[in-house]
Amino acid sequence: MLQLLFKNFLRSKGTKAGLLFLLIISLISLLIGRQFQQKQENNIAEAAVYQKEHIARNAAFHKDEIGLLLYYIKFSLVNKTLPINSLAIGQRDVNPSIQSVTIRGLEGQKYDSELNNPSNLLAGNIDFSFVLLYLFPLLIIAFSYNLISEEKESGTWKIVAVQSQNTFLYILKLFYVRILSLTALMTLVLLAAVLVLQIPLDKSFAVFYGITVLYILFWFGVCFFIVSLQKNSNFNAVILLTIWLFLIIILPAGINTYIINKYKVPEALELTLTQRNAYHEKWDMDKTETMEKFYKHYPQFKKYALPEKEFSWLWYYAMQQMGDDESSVQSKDLESKLEQRNRASELIAQFIPTLHTQIQLNEIAKSDLRNQLLFLKETTKFHEKLRLYFYPKIFDNAPVDKENWEKFKVETFTDATEISFLKAFLPLLLFNLLLIGFGWRNFMKTL
Amino acid sequence: MKLLQTEFLIARHFRNSVFKNAAIYIITIFIGLLLLYAAFSGWDNYRSQNETSEKYQHESREDWLKNPDKNPHRMAHYGNFAFRKSSSLSVFEFGMEPFFGNAIFLEAHKQNTANFSEAGFSNSMLRFGEISIAMVLQILLPLLIFFIGFNSVAYERENGTLKIFLSQGVSWKQLLTGKTLGIASVVMIIFIPTIMVLVFIWLLLQNFSISADEVIKMILFVFFHFVYLMFFCVTAVLVSASSKTSKKALVSLIGIWLIFTIILPRTTQAIGAYLYEAPSKIKFGSDIEKDILKQGDSHNPNDVHYKAIKDSLLRVYKVDSVQKLPFNYSGFIMTEGERISSNIYNQHLEELLKIYAKQNSFSKAVSFLNPYIAMKNLSMGLSNTDYDSYIDFQKQAEVYRYNMAQKMNALQVKYISNKKPGPNDKPLTIGKEHWADVEEFHYEPKGIAAIIKTEILSIISITLWIIGFFVLVLFASKKLKAV
Repeated sequence: MLQLLFKNFLRSKGTKAGLLFLLIISLISLLIGRQFQQKQENNIAEAAVYQKEHIARNAAFHKDEIGLLLYYIKFSLVNKTLPINSLAIGQRDVNPSIQSVTIRGLEGQKYDSELNNPSNLLAGNIDFSFVLLYLFPLLIIAFSYNLISEEKESGTWKIVAVQSQNTFLYILKLFYVRILSLTALMTLVLLAAVLVLQIPLDKSFAVFYGITVLYILFWFGVCFFIVSLQKNSNFNAVILLTIWLFLIIILPAGINTYIINKYKVPEALELTLTQRNAYHEKWDMDKTETMEKFYKHYPQFKKYALPEKEFSWLWYYAMQQMGDDESSVQSKDLESKLEQRNRASELIAQFIPTLHTQIQLNEIAKSDLRNQLLFLKETTKFHEKLRLYFYPKIFDNAPVDKENWEKFKVETFTDATEISFLKAFLPLLLFNLLLIGFGWRNFMKTL
Repeated sequence: MKLLQTEFLIARHFRNSVFKNAAIYIITIFIGLLLLYAAFSGWDNYRSQNETSEKYQHESREDWLKNPDKNPHRMAHYGNFAFRKSSSLSVFEFGMEPFFGNAIFLEAHKQNTANFSEAGFSNSMLRFGEISIAMVLQILLPLLIFFIGFNSVAYERENGTLKIFLSQGVSWKQLLTGKTLGIASVVMIIFIPTIMVLVFIWLLLQNFSISADEVIKMILFVFFHFVYLMFFCVTAVLVSASSKTSKKALVSLIGIWLIFTIILPRTTQAIGAYLYEAPSKIKFGSDIEKDILKQGDSHNPNDVHYKAIKDSLLRVYKVDSVQKLPFNYSGFIMTEGERISSNIYNQHLEELLKIYAKQNSFSKAVSFLNPYIAMKNLSMGLSNTDYDSYIDFQKQAEVYRYNMAQKMNALQVKYISNKKPGPNDKPLTIGKEHWADVEEFHYEPKGIAAIIKTEILSIISITLWIIGFFVLVLFASKKLKAV
């Protein structure tokens, strides 16, 4: 029986075309993912070479003044890109995965954006998560919207009902055939992804796979429920597409608009202005005042007294430091606003399976807003570490050639956020159970 | 005999039958609410975007003018900001705005990136799209039209009433026109109030004082959206008329809608981005630096380019050291450095923009096959939220930056003594009255003529679609069969 159902399902031209379309576009998404991966890798390699050459060249020019040298040279920090990132590119195309900073004021450098073609960003990537989120449901709908209703409309349903002992079991089998086909296709694609993108088979991947399966089941659950209402095919098609439209476009977009308007970030612009003024005004202010503030921040540098000269690097870096110190309120405000945004969206997303899936996939792939915020925090730490290392050298005017510049390699930040099975699976599981439960109840009543 | 009497009769009849279905009221109310939400959030967004941007533009200008006497080069590093402002139509069409950087810091020697885009501060939720009036008009209403229109003719065929129609002397042309008008009349119940609200908000935003340029943009915005929706009405009727059953008509129409609005826009842009890979910031920056070093490195005392300049200056002024030149030598060198570096930067930028243009070319070409893309591009152009507007903003900012830097260099060359102050001397300064010589940054959005020039493809595409439909309706009228 099951075999026959399989044959019958796969024999249809529509099924074949649909599956083939999905397979091809999934494979294209892997190609796009691989290109993204290679681009990231090239960038990191490029950054490493660049940093080495750039430091060496500048160190050769500014042999006598380490303060001047550090005015110029940049150090890079890389936000580690996992191979699985290529399956869910998320916000990694918008935000730079490499931060290059000098030890001067950080706030003016921290938010430098990546170069981008805004048309690409608007259209969005065709990564695996897009295929999964948008296209799999469409195919699921196309495969199941007319189950039962089609047979009723063509008059064959009565024959089926008479011939099989348990019509509900028959319906379950119809769904089973479809679920199995699409899950198999998805598994095949992910296996290909493992090979092409060299994704390690670890916990992250397991959760990723689990969410993917649950998401596919969610859509079958939706179809199961709608089919259980036993309306005509046209009604089913219209209502299922409307549900899809709501979950994929209207609700996410509406919530996004809400969050953006609720947590506005004028702090960002305020921050840049404050930071600029705080540093520049020091040029025209009493030097000792600046130095007092600097010594207060770093008591360990009190031993470096201000030289009796009009200009000194000690004073210069103290001024730069003030740009950051005096804009720290705005910086913190901005940070907490962004964290609020992230929290609010994660909270709301739990109630919207499509959003939840996307956010969870991005979280696993380390391409969400949370990862970006962590990376920014790490950039601050990285910058502070460099400052603390170089400040005493600059204040002592340590000889440039005594420093081993080779050791300043590009550093990497690894986002160690643990993935929680519960947080990832629970919302989807609950939705699935509800849909199946209600669908089952409907069938029990009507069959 | 009255003109189009039969057509209007069919249209009225169809409209009445649509309103017999209770679902249509729910959908209409829902879309109405969605439109209100879109209008409200668009307004809110526009207001806060422009208020913040004006506030900080103004504040940064005040700060600039408040600077005391100082060396002009310090001022060149103090710099200015370009904050992006939205145009009034962007209340209805957000376009690429969320992906645009909102502020560029403009200083000497360095072309900074446009920072603080909404997208950079957002969760991946943003990538699902946004609710704007344009989105409702361009994506949701076409689907509604298809849902209303899929059984306009197919249902009559299934019922057998189609034969009765035709045998009573109604021609196919009359039937198709009538049904199209019927669907259109339903859609207009949503469209017309929307446009009225839209115009009202638009007038309110500008305090009822509007330029001719804005009026033309608005008229085109409304007109093309109307034409665009009519296009979907005709499609619905034609597909319905040529399908055996209403189910087939529905499935085909949903397929068309998905391909037009969801699949093609993303795929075509992805193909472009895949085939023409653009460099990342780090590559772009290091390539520029390499080229600048090739031309001449002003930091290198033995650099050939700068040594030649020095030697020629010494020769012309018949002096033996740069300290004896009658003007500020380092200001002169910086002028040269700024010229070289910004030339090279602009060359690289042009290269980059060429790659972007190639990436976008696929989408542009497909606008001939896909009226959604044509409409989207046109409406983004009209609301200054398209790719070209953004590039235009960045270019205007760069021109401003260059002029500011060179103005400061000129002040240095002219007013700053060429003799270097000793380690304990006060720094050399010029009066603060000079700061006002640099005008405030003002972004001039592209006018209608420029927009039509860049969006000419979209306009041609939509026009061709209209002509195509007239032909198709005539053709179909002869070919279609009742059974």
